[in-house]
Amino acid sequence: MTSSRLPTAIAFLILLLAVVASLFLGRVNMSPVEVIQGLLAPDKSLAGLVVTELRLPRAVLAILVGASLGLSGAVLQGLLRNPLAEPGLLGVSNGAALGAVLSIYFGLSQAFPLATPLLGLAGAVGAGAMTFAFGRGGTLSLILAGSAVSGLTLAFLALALNFAPNPYAAYEMNIWMLGTLSEKSWDHIALAAPFIVLGLAILATMGRAVDALTLGEVQARSLGINLDRTRVLTLLGVGLSVGAATSVTGSIGFIGLVAPHLVRPFVGHQPSRTLLPSALLGAALLICADIVTRLLTTQNELRLGVVTSLIGAPFFFWLVLRLRRTAP
Amino acid sequence: MGVAAAAMLAFQPVAAAPSGSAKPERILSMNLCADMLLLELVPKARIAAVTYLAQDGAEALFPGADVGIAINHGTAEDIINLKPDLILAGAFSTSMTRRLAKAIGAPIVEVPDAVSFADIRRNLRQVGAAVGEPARAEALVAQMDADLATLAALPPRRPVRVIAWSGGDSVPGRETLSGHIIAAAGAVNIAARPGQTYSAIDVEELLAARPDALLYGGGGPLKPSVRGEEGQHRVLRRLYAGRRIVYSDIAHTCGLPQSARSALDLRRALDALPQQRAAQ
Amino acid sequence: MTRLAAQGITVERGGRAILNDVSLELEAGTFVALVGANGAGKSTLLSVLAGLLKPERGEVLLDGAVISAVDPRDLARRRAYLPQNPRAEWPISVERLVALGLTPQLPAFGGLPGGFEPRLTNAIAACDLLAQRLQPATTLSGGELARAMLARALVGDPEILIADEPMTGLDPRHAMDSVARLQALAGQGRLVIAAVHDLTLAARSATHVMALREGRLAAFGPTAEVLTPDLLRRVFDVEAQVTGVGHKTVVDFLAPSV
Repeated sequence: MTSSRLPTAIAFLILLLAVVASLFLGRVNMSPVEVIQGLLAPDKSLAGLVVTELRLPRAVLAILVGASLGLSGAVLQGLLRNPLAEPGLLGVSNGAALGAVLSIYFGLSQAFPLATPLLGLAGAVGAGAMTFAFGRGGTLSLILAGSAVSGLTLAFLALALNFAPNPYAAYEMNIWMLGTLSEKSWDHIALAAPFIVLGLAILATMGRAVDALTLGEVQARSLGINLDRTRVLTLLGVGLSVGAATSVTGSIGFIGLVAPHLVRPFVGHQPSRTLLPSALLGAALLICADIVTRLLTTQNELRLGVVTSLIGAPFFFWLVLRLRRTAP
Repeated sequence: MGVAAAAMLAFQPVAAAPSGSAKPERILSMNLCADMLLLELVPKARIAAVTYLAQDGAEALFPGADVGIAINHGTAEDIINLKPDLILAGAFSTSMTRRLAKAIGAPIVEVPDAVSFADIRRNLRQVGAAVGEPARAEALVAQMDADLATLAALPPRRPVRVIAWSGGDSVPGRETLSGHIIAAAGAVNIAARPGQTYSAIDVEELLAARPDALLYGGGGPLKPSVRGEEGQHRVLRRLYAGRRIVYSDIAHTCGLPQSARSALDLRRALDALPQQRAAQ
Repeated sequence: MTRLAAQGITVERGGRAILNDVSLELEAGTFVALVGANGAGKSTLLSVLAGLLKPERGEVLLDGAVISAVDPRDLARRRAYLPQNPRAEWPISVERLVALGLTPQLPAFGGLPGGFEPRLTNAIAACDLLAQRLQPATTLSGGELARAMLARALVGDPEILIADEPMTGLDPRHAMDSVARLQALAGQGRLVIAAVHDLTLAARSATHVMALREGRLAAFGPTAEVLTPDLLRRVFDVEAQVTGVGHKTVVDFLAPSV
């Protein structure tokens, strides 16, 4: 029963490689020596500044956001016993975006910087709660509810942009919503990290519950699992982590869907054993997607959410087809 | 001069006017840059409406000039309600706009984007002729040329390398209004890449290129936005403290006589830069 | 000695009484077979007795304490519950599925502590699933899955086992084995309550029988006393005959009642 160490170790290794690659690669060519010197003596050179003020915070933020998405996806799939569950599909990411838009465009974040992650997580929790409430009764209900909630939040978002003082808000927001890690600094991390870490910590305790839920809700309850508490804690954990993450980087989809799926076959499909590897793999996947956006030079910046969607959407289709074949 | 004549030829006669030399009394502007030109050329009483975007620009350049003037959103209803006798539009007016204008007998004058100072001269004369204020337009052209002459007469103290950067999404290159203003001010635009008007430059590239100063277009009351937040990465705040020159956004967005004034301001600011850069 | 008592249990749904004023007292060392027609309220009664469903009126007492006041984890350790047609939502191995029965005893993090290994193996062996130990649960046959779920219920060594039709889908051999296991459990001093359809099997192995008819308790007592043609007529609306005694008892259904 200890073979869960191996998948976790491998996921960690992949993450480590991705982080290293992310530090050494970028628009500006720097030799490995320069990078290492830069890390050790950040103030002495341009390379040092680039590495410690740009690439390192970018990698750290990618880890926080990717882990949030991966772990949230794993817990949601375990809780809902539904392989299509992930924060994006359940409307959580769009709820967070709505909160962030309200904070940024109505001047709240200028007055009070914590407003953005706070409103982001409020939006995430609110949207998630609605999806949970309306989506009881199987896969189809859940996906439909998530779709409806997404649509609703996007409508409110467009409405909010109509009233925003800045006339270019709508244009900017469409781009922002596609997600990015660029031009983020330690300031952003300082704002969002406490919420993200708290959310991750809460989600990490869901192992027993999601395992017991393998037997269905009734048997899980008979095993002493408090389902209401489990749902509330999951919503809180997902809302805190994905909400704060989205408020900083915009919506990044499909990581939460893909990471648990890649992990599951290697841990015997046991839900509790997908948690940590999904977090690590989610972080690694996000860093890799980010490296792609940095290396592909295009006229305009290639947005992170676009890359994850281009990879994730086909995966989602494949998943749906596979489920149709195996399930009634 | 030939341009002005051509503009007059393009000027379709007003159906009900007894003679072609009557000045338009109800001018509707449906384009931000045309708004600005209009406000400078014509007294308020003759303006039927300017766009809803005009307020910020007017506040920056000539505060109070737009107070009391009606607002339009560029829709068909606006044309019908305001019954203008002249419409100023951007280079791409919709066919609906053109049809309606024809129906009510108002000529449309399309004002193209101005990228260079030659463009600004042309636009001033075109709009001046259309609104019946050619003399005033010439006066503004003369003012602008005087500013440019001042700049040409005194070469810059030293060639300063700059970039107009407010977030890395679209940084103006050479063939842009910002690019021409920077060139007139005698500075070197490091974002001038062959074949690209605007390019995406991320902070890493910016740091590596080591400009002497950053130009930032936030010179008016800043409306909150994502762009606003991202233009202020903390490493840039640190490295370029005291080396950030703020310019008035509207003068770089629309080709106006004030664009030359903006170049003059830029020259003064560049000359005032400290000699040495804080970090290398 | 464990006692499970129900007092005046009434459960209503949509204005209808699913269970109507059901009272009984059960104690350890007995194997109670719950019988009744479809819709009589068997599943509901089992849920209530397991503490998973709160009745509109009345209460369930575990050793004198109201069951809803018992600490959920404690309760989970002491009583195991098997619903009808249990299924596994993920293709985890039989081994892991059975191990889930140890959830109440497990720490929050980490895998199965070593000390539990033998219990796991015993439970799997007792249900004749050693050959399928590493097989994904979703690939098991109906009967194998039923046995795996039973093993899951037994591995925690519960004082009380409440099972809703645990023999569904089992072939005669495995059905008899399961019943024998339940009987053995009762013999070891546990309380076993199982809803069953096969009355012959019930007659041969259960120590007590409780019968429900339209939400009311029609009868409760030792098997031989309760399982009579008269009761069967009342509860099932069929003419039946009961022949033989003890392990040779046979319950035959002859014809519908007129």
